[in-house]
Amino acid sequence: MRPLPRFRVHRPESLEKALELLATLEKAKPIAGGTDLIPLMREVEVDVKHLIDLSHIGELNFIREEEGYIRIGATTTLSDLVASELIASKAPALWEAAASMGSPQIRNRGTIGGNLCNASPAADLGPPLLALEAEAEIRSLDERRWIPIGEVFAGPKVNSLAEDELLTEVRFKTPPQGAGSAFEKIGRRRAVTLALVNAAAYIEVEDETCRVARLALGAVADRPLRMGEAEERLMGKELSEELIEEVSALCGRLVRPIDDVRASAWYRREMSRVLSRRALLKAWRRCAT
Amino acid sequence: MMLRFKLNGEWIECEAEHNETLLDLLREKLGVKSVKRGCNVGECGACTVLLDGRPVNSCLLLAPLVEGRSVETLEGLRDKPIMRELIEAFVEDGAIQCGFCTPGMLISAYSLLSRNPKPSEGEVRRAIAGNLCRCTGYVNIVKAILDAAERLRGED
Ligand SMILES: Cc1cc2nc3c(=O)[nH]c(=O)nc-3n(C[C@H](O)[C@H](O)[C@H](O)COP(=O)(O)OP(=O)(O)OC[C@H]3O[C@@H](n4cnc5c(N)ncnc54)[C@H](O)[C@@H]3O)c2cc1C
Ligand code: FES
Ligand code: FES
Repeated sequence: MRPLPRFRVHRPESLEKALELLATLEKAKPIAGGTDLIPLMREVEVDVKHLIDLSHIGELNFIREEEGYIRIGATTTLSDLVASELIASKAPALWEAAASMGSPQIRNRGTIGGNLCNASPAADLGPPLLALEAEAEIRSLDERRWIPIGEVFAGPKVNSLAEDELLTEVRFKTPPQGAGSAFEKIGRRRAVTLALVNAAAYIEVEDETCRVARLALGAVADRPLRMGEAEERLMGKELSEELIEEVSALCGRLVRPIDDVRASAWYRREMSRVLSRRALLKAWRRCAT
Repeated sequence: MMLRFKLNGEWIECEAEHNETLLDLLREKLGVKSVKRGCNVGECGACTVLLDGRPVNSCLLLAPLVEGRSVETLEGLRDKPIMRELIEAFVEDGAIQCGFCTPGMLISAYSLLSRNPKPSEGEVRRAIAGNLCRCTGYVNIVKAILDAAERLRGED
């Protein structure tokens, strides 16, 4: 275990100030809850001279519904998500993912922005936010853009942000009445940091017909992935357990998992099938038709 | 850097390094020894403290980030009615063996009972999911927390 690098900590109280620090200081990195960053710095050498604390920036911490969108500020903690009635009722997949993460202590510090920017292929908020077709707002001092959530992930533990950029907000369209979503994961105690496989599904049904189906899996490739081919086979169809079973088997073949110390590729394929089925069935049952 | 925060109800000022965790500051500079170092990476919960009333791992928290905030440890909580009852139940139910996990465990339990006076066994287990115990196998710990809750409700 290494000592922490010799960085200086900055505690800006506004987003503007934080962006300014990131733009001007050399080797500066944001820190939100620190639940990924501190263990990482204890494990490998991280070349950092300045840490910009985001946890004192009030304007980044919110959950609200506005103009047809559910909007979540980057430093919203996992505990904040779990405590939110809005998330529990409108986006149960996201709620279940947040509630499944780490421990109470970790959820009290860990943030949505940190989970995404850490860009672990197993990040538990990846699949539900993909299934909800969420977008992330990325800001620097002089630029502001929205990108699909999947584009935050650039590879295992690499995000797509430039060094002077921050992820400031996550938003997705408020799911309509009658939509259902669900999250499932398999992990091991103590491997708490990383699910072996996780999955989220989002379904809209109208007149017995599946209008929208979205399915995303995590820890089965270098980043969380949508299962487009599987989704196509569900849309426009009348859902049944048989169809869901068939589509889930397809997911087991679509994923490209790796063997690692935590699980074999074969096991991950099997789990992709099992979790796809569970998530789809649960999301479907939640569609109040 | 100079750091000002509330420790167990009293504002203190102390010198802290930028790259120091709250755990190091508490144990090594402020003599708060109930807070234990187990894994140092957020997995065992031995270092649990309350930050603005919520349990967090002090090994993952940089000391400079507690500026202006409130930190509570067993030293400051031990005389609160909920904590007294918990400590008594832990002793009576054999929920302590080597005792290394106990302070962190008590803080998680305290946080639970402060919010939820009538937790189910499942809720107790979820509340202490971030606290590892190598000795007891958890059964007596869960029992002690449920017993303490019952006594606090006056349903002895
Ligand atoms: C014991 C333990 C259990 C865990 N269990 C789980 C689990 O079950 N599932 C799971 O998915 N994760 C888990 N984690 C990982 C971690 O807790 C989560 O990923 C958490 O959401 C990270 O958020 P944070 O705010 O602590 O990130 P930080 O550590 O503060 O930051 C992570 C990375 O993102 C960058 N960053 C943070 N915020 C921003 C921003 N707004 N803009 C740009 N960059 C940013 C930082 O520079 C850093 O590189 C666990 C960790 C531990 C220690
Ligand atoms: S020492 Fe902090 S969680 Fe183990
Ligand atoms: S009593 Fe020994 S670790 Fe819990």
